[in-house]
Amino acid sequence: MGIVEEAHNLRVIGRADGERGTIVLAHGFGTDQSVWKHLVPHLVEDYRVVLFDNMGAGTTNPDYFDFDRYTTLEGYALDLLAILEELRLGPCIFVGHSVSAAIGAIASISRPDLFSKLVMLSASPRYLNDVDYFGGFEQEELDQLFDAMRSNYKAWVSGFAPLAVGGDLDSVAVQEFSRTLFNIRPDIALCVAQTIFQSDLREILGLVMVPCHILQSSKDLAVPVVVSEYLHRNLGGKSIVEVMPSEGHLPQLSSPDIVIPVLLRHIRYDIAV
Amino acid sequence: MSNALKAALKRAQAHQRRGCPEQQQTPLLAVKVELAQLVISILDDPSVSRVMREASFSSTSVKAVVEQSLSSSSSSSTTAPASTFTSPASPALFASSPGGGLSHNLSIHASPARNLYMNPRLYQHRHSSGATSGGGLEEPRREEVKRVMDILVRSEKRNPVLVGDSDPDAVMKEVLHKIESGDAPPPLQTAQVVSFAKQLATAAVASDLSWIPAWIRELGASIESEMSRGHGVVLDLGDLSWLVESPGGASIASAGSQTRQIVSEVGRAVVPEMGKLVKRFEDRGRLWLVGTATCATYLRCQVYHPAMENDWDLQVLPIASRPRPFPRLGIIGNLSSSGAAAITRSQPPDSTDSSAKILCSVCTESYKHELARLVTKEIKKSPSKVEDNKALPKWLQLAKLSNGGGTKPSTSLLQAKEEEQELMGKQSTEELLKKWQDTCSRLHPSFSQTVLLGSPQPDSESTQSRNLVHQRKIMMNASSEQPCSLPRSPVKTDLVLGNSRASNTLSEKTHTERVKDFTECTQDGFSIQQRAKVTGISDMDAFKRLLKGLTEKVGWQQEAASAVATALMHSKPEKWKRPGGGAKGDTWLLLIGPDKVGKRTMATALSETLFGTAPTMVSFSGTSTCSNGDDGESNMVSRGRTPMDRVSEAVRRNPFSVVVLEDIDQADGIVQGGIKRAMERGRLLDSYGREVSLGSVIFVLTSSWLPEELKSRHESLILLEQKILYSVGHGWQLELSAEKNPGKRCADWLGNGDQPTKLRKQSSCGVGLSLDLNLAVAMEDAAGEGSWNSSDLTTEHEHENGRLAVKCSTSSSASQWMELVANTIMFNPVDFGPLRRTVSDSISTKFATVVGDGCSIKVDEDAVDRIVAGVWLAGAAFDEWSERVLIPNLRQLKCNLQADDGVVVVRLSVVKGGPAKSSGDREWLPTSVAIAVDGQWTA
Repeated sequence: MGIVEEAHNLRVIGRADGERGTIVLAHGFGTDQSVWKHLVPHLVEDYRVVLFDNMGAGTTNPDYFDFDRYTTLEGYALDLLAILEELRLGPCIFVGHSVSAAIGAIASISRPDLFSKLVMLSASPRYLNDVDYFGGFEQEELDQLFDAMRSNYKAWVSGFAPLAVGGDLDSVAVQEFSRTLFNIRPDIALCVAQTIFQSDLREILGLVMVPCHILQSSKDLAVPVVVSEYLHRNLGGKSIVEVMPSEGHLPQLSSPDIVIPVLLRHIRYDIAV
Repeated sequence: MSNALKAALKRAQAHQRRGCPEQQQTPLLAVKVELAQLVISILDDPSVSRVMREASFSSTSVKAVVEQSLSSSSSSSTTAPASTFTSPASPALFASSPGGGLSHNLSIHASPARNLYMNPRLYQHRHSSGATSGGGLEEPRREEVKRVMDILVRSEKRNPVLVGDSDPDAVMKEVLHKIESGDAPPPLQTAQVVSFAKQLATAAVASDLSWIPAWIRELGASIESEMSRGHGVVLDLGDLSWLVESPGGASIASAGSQTRQIVSEVGRAVVPEMGKLVKRFEDRGRLWLVGTATCATYLRCQVYHPAMENDWDLQVLPIASRPRPFPRLGIIGNLSSSGAAAITRSQPPDSTDSSAKILCSVCTESYKHELARLVTKEIKKSPSKVEDNKALPKWLQLAKLSNGGGTKPSTSLLQAKEEEQELMGKQSTEELLKKWQDTCSRLHPSFSQTVLLGSPQPDSESTQSRNLVHQRKIMMNASSEQPCSLPRSPVKTDLVLGNSRASNTLSEKTHTERVKDFTECTQDGFSIQQRAKVTGISDMDAFKRLLKGLTEKVGWQQEAASAVATALMHSKPEKWKRPGGGAKGDTWLLLIGPDKVGKRTMATALSETLFGTAPTMVSFSGTSTCSNGDDGESNMVSRGRTPMDRVSEAVRRNPFSVVVLEDIDQADGIVQGGIKRAMERGRLLDSYGREVSLGSVIFVLTSSWLPEELKSRHESLILLEQKILYSVGHGWQLELSAEKNPGKRCADWLGNGDQPTKLRKQSSCGVGLSLDLNLAVAMEDAAGEGSWNSSDLTTEHEHENGRLAVKCSTSSSASQWMELVANTIMFNPVDFGPLRRTVSDSISTKFATVVGDGCSIKVDEDAVDRIVAGVWLAGAAFDEWSERVLIPNLRQLKCNLQADDGVVVVRLSVVKGGPAKSSGDREWLPTSVAIAVDGQWTA
C-alpha cells in the first residue's frame, strides 16, 4: 500500500472494472468516510467507489497534518489530486460534502480532466456574510465559535453537533457526528474549522467548468438556502440545484431516506442540455 | 493484447539490433530485450498512443524523452526510463492545465517518481527513519539544472517554472549563475539576466496600478535594445508567489472580515501585460522567462490566472523534494542535563521544541538561557516535595486534591499546593516562552510572521490539560477564601444558589438552608469575573455579554441577572445530559419571587440578548395582575387554543427562542403535567397529540411563590408591589384640582379621598385582608362598574376564600417546580419606597417651580402609586412624562388660578374612567391631566 493510500485510509470498493464509472466520496468537516455509510451500499453494484479520509479527520495520523499546508483549502485540493493521481482511475464523479465540495471545485479547476461531474452536498463558497452576499455567519460569531473550540473542545462538540445535524436531538446522527468530531485532535479541528470558515471561493467559482449538481437541505445551520442559488448563478459550467426537504448540515447522515435517493439520481443522471 | 505485445517485442528486438550491431548476427533463440527498448516499442503501438492521447499525452513526445534519456544517460539507462514507465508521468501531469496542449515534455529525473500533489509530510514521515546521505544532495540538483537548460534551449514551451516544495530557488540560482557566467548552451551564452521581481519591488512606489503597463513597456524597450546588441534576455520572475499574494503577506489568521487578498492587484495587472511582452518577442526566440513556485502557489496561479500558463508560454518543471534531516535544537538535552527533569517530565517535548520553531535563533538563545535559570530556581524551591508527590499515582493526587478542596488547610491541601507549585513552574515556562515569542515578533517581525502562520497551537493537548488544572487551581483558591457557601464542584450551576437537585429532594426541611444560601449568595461581594471562574464558566465573553444585556434591562435585580447568566452558560455543557441519557438542547429556568415586572423584563432581555427577538409569553395567572398585551385569559381560551398549543407552536416556529411560561404554578394540572413531561422527554405534546422537539428553546418559568421565611421578611414590599401593579391596569386619569378651601370636599371626586388613608391602614395589617381588598377592587372594576371603594362585604369574603385556596396550591406546586428545574433564580421583592419618594418629591418641586410659592400641592397616595406603577411598567420615564404632561398642565393651572387668588392647596388625585389601556400599549401613564377648579372642568 502506498503512502497516500495509507495516510488517507483510501478504500476502493464496488465494481472492480468500474463499468459505469468511478465515484469518489469526500466527507466534510468533523466527519470521516463513515459519513457515507448509508449511500455506499447503493453504489457498489454499479460503480467503483473510492472512499478516503481528509487529512485532519480523526482517523488520520495527526503527524501528517501540516498546519501550513492546510491553512487554505488548496492544501486539501492537492491531497485530493494526489489521491486521484495515485489511483489513476480516469475521470470520476466526485461527491463532496460541505467543505469537500469546495475542495473538489478547486481541484477541478486545476485538473478538469479528472472530474466528470461534481455533486455538491451542503456546499458553500463562503460562510461569512459580505456586502451583497449572505453566507450565514458574522465574523464575531465565528470568533466566538473559535474561542469556544479553543477553550473547551469537548463542550463545544456537544453543543455544535446537535446544532449542525439539526432536527431530532436524540438521534443516532447526532451521536455519530459527535463521535467523529471527538476523534479529531482539538488543535487540528480548530485549524480545519478556521480554514473552512475563512475560505472564500466566490472569485473562482466562474472557473469551475465541470458540471455541478448542488444539493442542499432546506434547513441548514451552516449553509442558507440562498447560497445554493448563488452557486448556481456563479459557477462557470452547467449546474443544477435541488433543495431537499431535509434538515441539518449532514442530511446524508440524519435523513438518509430523503437524501440518498436524491444523491443517487444526481449521480446516475447528468444535467440535460 | 498478446498480439500487440508480441509485435512490440519484435519491434523492440529490431530496434536493439539496429542499436547494437554486434548482436545482429547472433540468431536469437531466446528473445532478450532491453526493457527500455520494449517501452519504446510499446509506445509505438497505435492503441497505446490512442490511450495516451485520450489522457492528453502525446506518445511521440513521451517516446522522444525516453529515447533522449536513453542516449544521454548511458550507464543508468535502464533505471530512469523504467521509472518513467511504471508511473506514466504523474508529476508532469501537473502541467496539463485547462487549455494545455499535447506537447508536454516528460521530464522525470532519476530520483524515484513521486506524486507531485502529495503532502510532503507523508514523504518526510516515511523517510524520517532512514537517514539520508548529505552527499547525495548535489547529484540530483545537477540533474535538475541540466533539465532547466534543456527546456531553455527548446523552441517552444521553453520558459521553465520550477515547481516544488523543497527550495526550487537553489536550482534556479544555479541556473542563473551558469547563464551569467557564460557557462550555458549557445543561444543562452550571451543572454543577460534581468531580475524582474527585484525591479518590480523597487518600481512599486505608487499605490495605484496604472504604472504597471508603462513600466512593462519600458522593460520591453530595454529588452529590445539588449537584443539589438545581440544578447538574449532571461527574465527572472523569482518566486511566483507575488502573483497570487498581496505584498503585505496577509496571513490567513489575520485576514478576518474582508475578502482575502489572494490575488494581488499587481498580479492581475502584470499577467496580461507580460503576455503581450512574450508575444512580442516570440519569434525572435531570445527572451526567456524563468521562475519558481511551490506547488500551492502554482496551483493558485493556475486558478487565478488561468491564461498565464499559455500566454507566458510556461513549462512546469517539477522539483522533487528531498527528505532533509529535521532540524532540532537541543533544548531538551540542555534541560535534562541541568537536572530539570521534574519540570519537564510531564511536558511533552514538542512544546519545548516548538519554541525553536517560533523563535528566531537569537531569541531562542535568550529564551533557553532564561528557562534554565527558571528551572534551577524551581528545583531549589521544591525538590523533595515534588518527589513526594510523585510517589502517588496521578489520579490519587487528583482525588486528594478534590477532597481537600474547600476544607481548612490540611495535609491534602498542602499537597495540593505543591502540585500547584509544580504547575506554576510549568506555566511559567510557558509564560517565558510566550514572553520571548512576543519579544521576538516585535524585534524580528519577518521571522515570526513566516513561522507563526502555520502553527497556531503546537501542542494543544497539553495546553488543554494545563488549562484544566489551572481551572481547578482557581477553584481551590476561591474556596479557601470563601469556605462556606461555595460550590464544591465547578460544573453545577445551581450550587451558586445553594439548591442542587439533591437538596431539593430533601423537601421542605431544607428550605431554611436554601433561603440562607440565597441570602448569603446575594450578599457575597463577588465580582463577575470571580463568580464566573468559581463556577467554571469557560466562555467569559459570551457570559459577560449576556450579563451586560441582562443588567442593563433589569438593573435592580443584579443578583438575579448574574444568576440567570451563570445558569445559562452552565447549562450549555451540562444540558445535553438528561437522566434517561440522550442529548438535550432545551434549557429550563425557574424564576421565583415577587417582582413580576422584573421577571418579565429579565425574560425579555434574555431573549433579546440571545436571539434578538421578543420571547413568547404564555401567562397562566387567571387574575393577571398587570395585564400586558398578548397574554392572559383572552388568549388562553377565547382563541380555542390551549396554552400548550401556544407553547408548542412557538417552539415549532422557532427552535431557538425563549418561551416564558408565566405563573406556571397557577396553570391547571393538565398543563403542568404536560410541561413536566416535556422537561423529562425533550418533546412537547400539543392538544392534537403532535409531538414537537424542544430544540434549543430556553424555557423560563416564573412563579411568584417564595419560601415562607423570605415571604414574611418581605411581606410589606410584596404587598406594596401587588397593590401598585393592581392599580395601574384599569382606566384612570389624573386630575389636578384647586381648592379654595382646604377643608372642603368636592362632590366630583367620587369618594376617592378616603382611599389613601384606608390603604395606608391596611398595608400595616395582615396579608389576606389587604390582598382581598385589592382583589375585590379589581374584580369590581372588571365587572364594569362600582365606586372605587364601596367594597361589599360578602363578595370580599368569597374572594378571600378563593384567594387562599389558590395560594395553597401555589406554594406546593411551585416547590415542586423548584425540584424539577435545575436552575432556580430568586428575585428579590422590589422596594417601591424610594421610587415613590422620588416621584412625590419631584412632583412637589416641579409644582413649586411652575406655580410658585403662593400655593402648595397635595398628592394623593393613590395618585403616587399609580404614577409609580406607570413609571415602573413603562421603564423609568418619569422625568420625560412630567416634562411632557405634568408641567404643561401645571402651567395651565397656574393661568387659571391667577384669576382668583384665594387658592391655597392644589390636589393631584386619581379619577376613574377614561379609556382602558389598550392591549400591548406601553403607555402606562396618562397622557393628559384634567384640571378642575372649584369643580369646574377645564382643559
